[in-house]
Amino acid sequence: MKILLIEDESSLRESIITYFTDEGNICETAVDYKSAVEKINIYNYDCILLDLTLPGGDGMEILRAIKKINKKDGVLIISARHSLDDKLDGLNLGADDYLVKPFHLSELKARVTAIVRRKSYDGSNIITFNEIHIDTQAMSVKIEGNVLTLTRKEYDLLVYFIANHSKVITKSAIAEHLWGDEIDLSDHFDFIYTHIKNLRKKLVEAGCKDYIKSMYGVGYKFENV
Amino acid sequence: MKLAAKYNRVTLIASIIVFVFTGVIYYSVIHYILTDQLDRDLEIEEDEIAAYVQTNGKLPQAGSFKEQKVSYHLIDPERDFERRYFYNDYFNESAQKIEPGRSLISTVKVNGKLYSVTVTKSRVESEDLVRIIFLITLSVTIVLLITLLLINRFVLNNIWKPFYGILSQMKAFNLADKNDIRIEQTKIDEFTELNTAVAAMSLRVKQDYRELKSFTDNASHEMMTPLAVINSKLDTLIQTETFSNSQGELIEDIYVAVGKLSRLNQSLLMLAKIENNLIGDQEAIDLNELVSQKTRQFQELLQSHNINLKTELANKKINMNKHLADMLINNLLSNAIRHNYKGGEIFIQLDDNQLTVSNTGSDAALIASKVFERFYKNAASEGMGLGLAISNQICNLYHFKLNYAYQNTRHTFKVSF
Repeated sequence: MKILLIEDESSLRESIITYFTDEGNICETAVDYKSAVEKINIYNYDCILLDLTLPGGDGMEILRAIKKINKKDGVLIISARHSLDDKLDGLNLGADDYLVKPFHLSELKARVTAIVRRKSYDGSNIITFNEIHIDTQAMSVKIEGNVLTLTRKEYDLLVYFIANHSKVITKSAIAEHLWGDEIDLSDHFDFIYTHIKNLRKKLVEAGCKDYIKSMYGVGYKFENV
Repeated sequence: MKLAAKYNRVTLIASIIVFVFTGVIYYSVIHYILTDQLDRDLEIEEDEIAAYVQTNGKLPQAGSFKEQKVSYHLIDPERDFERRYFYNDYFNESAQKIEPGRSLISTVKVNGKLYSVTVTKSRVESEDLVRIIFLITLSVTIVLLITLLLINRFVLNNIWKPFYGILSQMKAFNLADKNDIRIEQTKIDEFTELNTAVAAMSLRVKQDYRELKSFTDNASHEMMTPLAVINSKLDTLIQTETFSNSQGELIEDIYVAVGKLSRLNQSLLMLAKIENNLIGDQEAIDLNELVSQKTRQFQELLQSHNINLKTELANKKINMNKHLADMLINNLLSNAIRHNYKGGEIFIQLDDNQLTVSNTGSDAALIASKVFERFYKNAASEGMGLGLAISNQICNLYHFKLNYAYQNTRHTFKVSF
């Protein structure tokens, strides 16, 4: 997928680009209002990651500009402003999602993937990873044609893993993804392990390869074996 | 005690003391003057009798005449006899009754015989005079006192009106409020000065508060970007190499700390927002539905702690911001889980008037007066100590009451609508 990252903080830009580029994604960047508007006018992107506080102008204006020229690009706002108004304004103006800084790169990736999937022209609701086929419309999982019954949390976890495959995902990222960031689960990470274990068991029992690896106590990695 | 009442009391007591004191003096002086007058009249009568004896060589006729009575007695010349004035009661023949009188007893020599002469004059008139004067004075004083009280009551109240005006404004003064203190015009210099001083002070305080607030806001916002950088760098770091488990632990600790820091930041921003009443968009929230949804959200956490959750939920709708309602229930529920023990219990009860969340936990009650303070937490708690402060602020915003009690070994938080 082709992504435009509009972000003025260079360290954050680098991390995001590194995280996104290594599997054939094209990731372009814009560092201020002017260059962002230029790029948007010339190119098409699958998803635009938009920071709201930019040198030279308000990110909201860029969003308005995108909608004004009828671009179909997905827009994900990333902002340090944890303000409900901003969130509502952004979503009302046609942004597809809103992510508050600080965020986990895996969360960003999962959200971008979801936006791109929804926006894709082939209307595909199917996520495929080797023998795993997920129909996001029906929220059903098949392993080589056999239906696998998962709980809601296990389903979300699997989709999250596949969106971030070959990446180490931390336990806190998983917790926040599954239970929301309003709940502080930092002292209860242990129970995430139970969910991972269950999912892993179900996948393996359904004839799936064991893709989930525990990584040095920090998190997990869903990786082709 | 009110200033006017205090002032009234002082003037009243002082007036009464002065009145009694002067009244006594006044009465004695008048009494003295009138008695002196009577005595002089008696003396004149005595002189007249003496003159009559000298001229006629015999005593004038004894008897009662108008307000005056004269009598003679033969006395022993050897005996000491003192000329003196005295008070007595005598029988007034013309009025046919006993009246108070003033008498002078002296001696007169007629043809070698010594007689005592008693002249008595009625005191009725002078007593009446004293009484009338006394009554007039008393009534004047009472009228004076009443006038004084009325003046105090109405005029003083009127004069103090601007004071109470500014006082009520000061009581209603709210830092976060947009309204400034209005200065009411008054002709009294002291109050004008007070008003100006208060208005200036409130402006200054508000200015300071605004600066402090924007500083906190900016500081919290500015902190978010570095936090995002740390988080993203950590995410990048763990993709790079193979780490040992002990390195992994270090990284995890950093993650947890960064997570706490960003949550702390967001909580502070949220508190500032609620305090400044920047929360709009009320909607009817189905609390029953919301609580059920939250218990589902917490289900896995409850299971992992073996906590038994009981609910008793009636239908209840309240008007509030969705996000804040979410946050309130989240905070109460996550506290009930966090401060519980394995195999403990949580009971949530919702009816038309209140929402109660009670949980088993530590044996000791929390300090009820401090539990809603910012950054108050007991040593064992791993939270930030902001959750309940935020919950309390949310309740204040919507005029709910949030109470804590420790009953039957359960920590109970109650929101009364």
